Amino acid sequence: MNWVQLGGSIVAILILAGVARLLRLGESRINSAADARRFAEEALAGFEARHALVGTDGNAALVAGNGTIAVLKRHGAQVAVRRLTPPLRMREAVEGVTVETGERLFGAVTLLGVLPVDVQTLEAPLTLM
Amino acid sequence: MKLPNPVDYAVPAFVLLVLVEMIVAWLRDRKRYEPKDTLTSLALGTGSTIAGALTAGMFLTLAVWISKAALFHISYAWYWFVLCFVLDDLGYYFFHWSAHRVRWFWASHVIHHSSQHYNLSTALRQTWTGFFSLGFLTRLPLFLIGFPVPMILFVGGINLIYQFWIHTEVIGKMPRWFEAVMNTPSHHRVHHATNPRYLDSNYAGVFIVWDRMFGTFVPERDDDRPRYGIVKNLGSFNLLWAAFHEWIGIATDMWKAPGLRAKLGYLVMPPGWSHDGSRDTSETIKARWEESQRKRGAS
Repeated sequence: MNWVQLGGSIVAILILAGVARLLRLGESRINSAADARRFAEEALAGFEARHALVGTDGNAALVAGNGTIAVLKRHGAQVAVRRLTPPLRMREAVEGVTVETGERLFGAVTLLGVLPVDVQTLEAPLTLM
Repeated sequence: MKLPNPVDYAVPAFVLLVLVEMIVAWLRDRKRYEPKDTLTSLALGTGSTIAGALTAGMFLTLAVWISKAALFHISYAWYWFVLCFVLDDLGYYFFHWSAHRVRWFWASHVIHHSSQHYNLSTALRQTWTGFFSLGFLTRLPLFLIGFPVPMILFVGGINLIYQFWIHTEVIGKMPRWFEAVMNTPSHHRVHHATNPRYLDSNYAGVFIVWDRMFGTFVPERDDDRPRYGIVKNLGSFNLLWAAFHEWIGIATDMWKAPGLRAKLGYLVMPPGWSHDGSRDTSETIKARWEESQRKRGAS
């Protein structure tokens, strides 16, 4: 590899990423509670989805399962999922609630239009066990 | 004999084909591409090329040194190219199998699987630590047999170019005879899938016959569309995290593990293995999925 090839590669990368953005590729959202449940079951081995809360912007969701809770966040055009053990660490956010995942690079997940009490109701059957 | 690096000539075609695939995605399914994911894949690809260039000297020195002990003196006749290509692809199969079954090798290879998308840009998402993780080991027997070093590098380049076009959802299935012998988009989608039934299968580079021979072939099914990525998806577009997360995971696990046996386990056992059995390997995921399928069938 020489400097011309390296420079050409970087220019090509920027052009391709720019085209993807220009064409508005990759736009998506978690549309419904049923979607959220399906995503959680597909991503986590042995997870049996029950109730789900979905943020009003479709960017995040929480799904109660058999003993654990799945936290979902939109990651590009796809959904990334983590399994959390209740009680969840959460805090009130502007127009919603933020759930901590404990992973710095995965980050905290904010559900718009969801209240802390909604999350507590979701996790109550699991914390009572 | 001096042979060109075929990959250098293929790069403009790679760029053009990614562009074409993006336009097809725009027309058919806009979720097939995502700008940040594409940027990450292509940047990882460029980083991989730089890392390869930095370690090329060491690899070549090793190759020439081993070639001095070669068993045969092989010429540049065309049929030796063909044989070299086939044997190199067989070596690739074993490399690829080990890259999924040994965590040390997986730490390097996981980069290629870390996108949740499956498109031509995913093909270019390549490792930065291939030399460090000894990914070249399965190629060494070819040097020892006596195939010329430039010939092995040349056929390796052709192998890499072949594997580019199979990273796509645009192509459904190829003609039956082709699917029987060659690695195809359909077979390789299965390889990149995280659906339990598809885990750890279809390791082929060019010829799918190796998977059929060694019992690792799984066909793609219409009723179980592949979901791409890794069992624990990154959830981040951070370039350095994508490149090094598994190495960091190995170091952390080894640091915390009790005793030498457990520490070594985190290095050489399959991804997901843990000394106390608290994590999921592909085997446990498959077993749990099969159990749930049985329950569903029974109810």
